[in-house]
Amino acid sequence: MSWKLKFLKKSVWVFHVNTGACNNCDIEVVDLLTPKFDVERFGIKLVGSPRHADALLVTGVVTKQALPRLIEVYRQTPKPCVVFAIGACACGTGIFQRGYHVAGPVDKVIKEEDPNAIIAYVPGCPPKPEAMISGVVKALSVL
Amino acid sequence: MDIHELNAKLESLKDKLISIDKTTDKRIYLTCESANSFDLCRFLYEDTDCRFVIATVIDSDNYFEILYHFAYDQLGLVITVKSLIRDKDKPSTESIATFLPAAEWIEREMHDVAGIEFKNHPDMRRLILADDWPDGVYPLRKEFKK
Repeated sequence: MSWKLKFLKKSVWVFHVNTGACNNCDIEVVDLLTPKFDVERFGIKLVGSPRHADALLVTGVVTKQALPRLIEVYRQTPKPCVVFAIGACACGTGIFQRGYHVAGPVDKVIKEEDPNAIIAYVPGCPPKPEAMISGVVKALSVL
Repeated sequence: MDIHELNAKLESLKDKLISIDKTTDKRIYLTCESANSFDLCRFLYEDTDCRFVIATVIDSDNYFEILYHFAYDQLGLVITVKSLIRDKDKPSTESIATFLPAAEWIEREMHDVAGIEFKNHPDMRRLILADDWPDGVYPLRKEFKK
């Protein structure tokens, strides 16, 4: 394991990106950060800029309008970073599969920009905060 | 104003309407040609105490339908003006946003997704489609294929 990855895992700061979600996943992400679930015990903290982030929490299917913005946010995130696709839409477009505004699921879009990107999936509609904690902790343990 | 007064008022509009349909106690549909929709909406908004809720557009087989939904809260009624635009190639109608600013954005949205031209609209910029969406392609029309 490279020393960069080792330090990435110690306390993950996350940046929350909504690329076209219905807001349901976002509500659950905000739930996750409340004292009830208290993810700061794992060192997970929400930050206000992708430049400070170790991980991106991407919710929602990537719309054509959001595509260049997501790529820009990904470019600004220091590497190595982990991209978490949160929810059914982000994992595989979900019910928006044939929508006219859809650019693709998060993994496809990010892989086009950076083929070596680390992507983790938390499916669900919306995923429970417990599922997100489990997903984040599991993803960090296999890095 | 009770239901009888409202009915009398609606009866007085009969020459502008194709039909008045009362599907339930709470729902009235006023079907009209698109040329009369402006006057009808203006009447509902200014001469009765109706409140504008939303407008919707449907791409039907032979015409576009624009449905202006008005709520009459004292009686719990929803009155819908169903305006038929028969020109399918260049659909256009009078904008009601000139006297009803709340309709401005929904008309912009209908223009985006169905290509309805709203005459005299104060600000007909793109609202919901992506910035690089091609002009003249309307995603919620029936002929649209991804």
